[in-house]
Amino acid sequence: MNLPIPYPDPMPLPAPVWLLRTLLLLTFFLHVLFMNCLLGGTAVALVCTMRRKSSAFSARLAGDLGPLLPSVFAFTITLGVAPLLFLQVMYGQFLYASSILIGVPWLAIIGMVILAYYGVYFFSMKAHEKKGKTTVVLALALLLLASIAFVYSNNFTLMLAPERWLDLYHSHASGWNLNWSEPSLVPRYLHFVLGALAVAGLGLVVMGLRQQEDGYRQWLIEQGSLLFTGTTLLNFGVGFWFLVKLTGPVRLAFVGGNAFATALLGVGMLLPLAAVAHLIMAKAHKSPKRQLVVGVSCGLLTVAVMVVMRDVLRNLALAPYFNPNQLPVAPQWGIILLFVLLFIAGLATLYYMLRKVAIATKAQVAAAQELQ
Amino acid sequence: MNYPVWQLGFPGGLLIAAVAVLHVFISHFAIGGGAYLVLTERRAYSHNDLDLLGYVRHHSKFFALLTVVLGAVTGVGIWFTIGLVSPEATSSLIHTFVWGWAIEWVFFFVEIAAALIYAYHWDTLDRQTHLIVGWIYFVAAWASLVVINGIITYMLTPGRWLETGKFWDGFFNPTYWPSLWIRTAMAVALAGIFGLVTAMGEPSALRERVVRWAGWWLVLGIAPLLPLSRWYFHDFPSYSRAYFSGMYPQIRHALLAAAVFSGVALALALLFALLRPKMMNPVIVAVLLVAGIGVMGAGEYLREFSRYPYVINSYIYANDIRIGQVEAIAANGVARTSPWVEGSAADSRADRSNYGRQLFALECGSCHSVDGYRGMRKITRGWDTKFAGEILLHLPVVRETMPPFAGDAHDRAALGSYLASLAPATPSGANDKEIGQQVFAIHCAMCHSVGGRQRPLDLKGTDPEAIAGMLGTLGDINPDMPPFTGTDAEGRALAVYLNEPSH
Repeated sequence: MNLPIPYPDPMPLPAPVWLLRTLLLLTFFLHVLFMNCLLGGTAVALVCTMRRKSSAFSARLAGDLGPLLPSVFAFTITLGVAPLLFLQVMYGQFLYASSILIGVPWLAIIGMVILAYYGVYFFSMKAHEKKGKTTVVLALALLLLASIAFVYSNNFTLMLAPERWLDLYHSHASGWNLNWSEPSLVPRYLHFVLGALAVAGLGLVVMGLRQQEDGYRQWLIEQGSLLFTGTTLLNFGVGFWFLVKLTGPVRLAFVGGNAFATALLGVGMLLPLAAVAHLIMAKAHKSPKRQLVVGVSCGLLTVAVMVVMRDVLRNLALAPYFNPNQLPVAPQWGIILLFVLLFIAGLATLYYMLRKVAIATKAQVAAAQELQ
Repeated sequence: MNYPVWQLGFPGGLLIAAVAVLHVFISHFAIGGGAYLVLTERRAYSHNDLDLLGYVRHHSKFFALLTVVLGAVTGVGIWFTIGLVSPEATSSLIHTFVWGWAIEWVFFFVEIAAALIYAYHWDTLDRQTHLIVGWIYFVAAWASLVVINGIITYMLTPGRWLETGKFWDGFFNPTYWPSLWIRTAMAVALAGIFGLVTAMGEPSALRERVVRWAGWWLVLGIAPLLPLSRWYFHDFPSYSRAYFSGMYPQIRHALLAAAVFSGVALALALLFALLRPKMMNPVIVAVLLVAGIGVMGAGEYLREFSRYPYVINSYIYANDIRIGQVEAIAANGVARTSPWVEGSAADSRADRSNYGRQLFALECGSCHSVDGYRGMRKITRGWDTKFAGEILLHLPVVRETMPPFAGDAHDRAALGSYLASLAPATPSGANDKEIGQQVFAIHCAMCHSVGGRQRPLDLKGTDPEAIAGMLGTLGDINPDMPPFTGTDAEGRALAVYLNEPSH
C-alpha cells in the first residue's frame, strides 16, 4: 500500500541532526519536569483543597502551591515551545500531517491551555481561603490539563502511524478525529500521567527538604514519598501494558532486539526502584536528607531516561519510512553561535533575577524573624 | 498537495486572522506596556507620588495576567494554526529561520520570567533592582519583536534571499525597518490605551494624572504612523503596490479603516486625555480599545492581502503549493501528485464531482468557502462547465491575487464542473437588455466592469452586430480572455446591453 507520507522539506536541515536532537531532548526533559509538576501539582492542590478543613497541613500545602502553580504553568509553556520547534525541523512532515488529521482537538489545546491557566491563577489568588469555589475551578483546570495531555498522546502516536492517516482523513477531513485505534494510546497516556503524579511526589519531597518547620517538613516528605512510591509501582504494571501494546518490531527492539533500547528499558526500570528504595530507607533514618536527595535524583534520572526512550521509540517506529540522519544538512553556524551566546546571556540574566529575588526574600524572612 | 487539507467549512486563512489579530493586539501591548510600567514606576519615585506607585503596582498585575497568559498562549496559537492551515509554508519558514525562532525563544523565556518577577515582587526587591527587572523585561520583549519582525516581513518581501537563500538576506529584507518602527510605535500607543483602561479604576485626582500621562503615550505612538506607513508601503513588492491603485475594494477599505481608526484614536487622545482629562470615561476608553484593534487589524490585513497570491512571496503560493511544483502538477495531474485525493478525473460522473470537490478544498480552500467568506456559489452563478474550466486557465489574470491553477486538463475539467454545479442558472429577462446584463454578470464581470474601476469596458454605441462578432474571437483580442461560451442568443443579448448599458 502506498502511504501518504509527505516528502520532507526540500531545504537542508539548518543544523546537524545531533545538535537538533540534543536540544530537542534537553528542552523536552525540562518541559516534562515542569509539565509533571503542573499536572501532578494541580492534582495535589485539588486533593489538599478538598481536605483543607480536616487537615491543617493540607490547607497549608494548598496555600504554598497557590503562588507556585502559575509560574510552573508559565515555564511549562515556555519550555514546551523549544522542543516543538526542534521536532518540527526534523520530523515536520509527520507532525504536520497528523496534526491536521486531528485539527480540531489539536487547536483546542490553545483554548484549553488559556482556560486552565486562568483557572490556576484563580486558585493562586484564593489558595489561602477556607471556603469558596476553588475546588470546582481546580477540578476543571485538572480536567483541562489531563485533556491537553491526552490530545498530545494522540498526536504523537498518530504521527508514527502513517498507515492510519488516509482512513482518518477520508472519514473526517474536518479534523474531528482522535487516534483511538492506536493500541498503545491508553497505556501510553496513563504511563505518562502516572509519571507526572510521581514527579509531583518528588516535588513535595523537595519542598519538604527546603522546609524549616519539623512537623510540616516531615508530613511533606512522607506524603511526597508515598505519592511517588504508589504511582511508580503502579506504573510498572502500566509500563508493561504499554510495552505489550507496541507494534511487534518496536517491542522486540526493547526486549533484546536492539541493545541500546533494551539497556535503556533496563536502566529505566532499575532507577525508579532505586528511588523507591531510598525514599523508604529514608523513613528509618535519623537524618534522612542524603537518602532523600539520592532518591529524588534517581527519580529525576528516570525521567531523563524515559525522555530518551521515548525518542528511541519514535525513531524505531519511523524507521521503515524515514531516518532524519539521511536528510541533507547545511548548518547555519554563525546564527547557531549567536543563539548559543544569547542563550548563555539569557541564562545569566535569569540567574541574576532569581538570585536577587532569593537574597531579598531571605533578608525579608530574617527581618520578620527578628521582629518576632 | 504534499499534506492533507484541513476542511473546516470556512477558509483556514480566516482562522489565522482571528488568532493573529488577538495575539498582535496583546503582544504589542506587552512590548510598549513594559516601557510604560518602568517609566511610570520611575516617575512615581522621582515625584514621590505614592498614589501613582499604587496604580502602577495594580497595573503590573493586570499586565502580567493579560500578556503572560493570553498574549503568550495566542502566540503559540498562531504557530499551531499556521501549521494546520499552511504546513508547507510553515515547514519552509521553520527550515529557514529555526535559529531565529530559537533566539526569540530565549528572549521569550527571559521576558516571561521578568514579567512574573516584576509583577509579584514589588515588596521583596529594592526599588533599583525592581526597576532593573522591569527594563530587562522591556528589552527582552522588544528584542523578540526584533526577531519575529524579520520573519514576518520576509514572507512579504524576501528580497535577496530568493537568490542567495541566506538567513540574513531574508531577515533584513526590504520592509524590515519600516515594519519594525511601525510596530514599535503601535506598541507605544497600545501601552497608552491599556494605561487608560486600568486608570479608570483609580480615584479621580490620581485618575486625571494617569489619564494625561497615558494620553501622551497614545499620542506619541499614533503620530508617527502616517509617515512610517508611507515608508513601509513604498517598500512593498512592486506587484502588490499596484493593488493600492484603487482596483481592489479590500485594500481601499482597509486603508480607510486604518486612517479612520488612527484618526479617531488621535483625536480622542488629544481631546480627552491631554486637554480635558477629567472628561475621560470608560466609554471613550472602550472606543479607543476598538480603535486600537481596528488599526492593528487593518494593518495586518493590508500586509496579508498585499502578499497575495503568495504566502511566501515568489516562493510558495497562498494555497500552500510551491511555485516550482506547479509545472509538474500540470504535467502529472493532481491525482498522481497528491496521495490525499480520492479517485481521479477519469472516474464516473458521480465520483468526478467528488473529485472536483476535493480539488476545490486542495487548491481554493485556504481563501474561499462555498457559501461563506469569499463564497464561490455567489461568484460562479450561471457558469457553465466549459466556461469554468476556461476561467481556471487564467486565474492570475482574473485576479492578480490568485495563484495559477495547478493540474492537468482533466483536473481542470473536474474542478470546472464542480464550480459550475454550485449555482446553475440561465439568464432570463423581459428583454434582450435585461438578459444581456445577466450574461455580462456571468461571463464578463469577473474581470470587467461597465463604467467602474475594474478594467472598464466601454462599447457604448458600438454596433451590436460588431460586438456579437467580436465574441467569437476573444482569444485573438487578448490571449488571456477565455472564449465566450454562451448561446448565440445570449451573445446577441450581451451585445445589446453593451451597446446601451445601464448601471
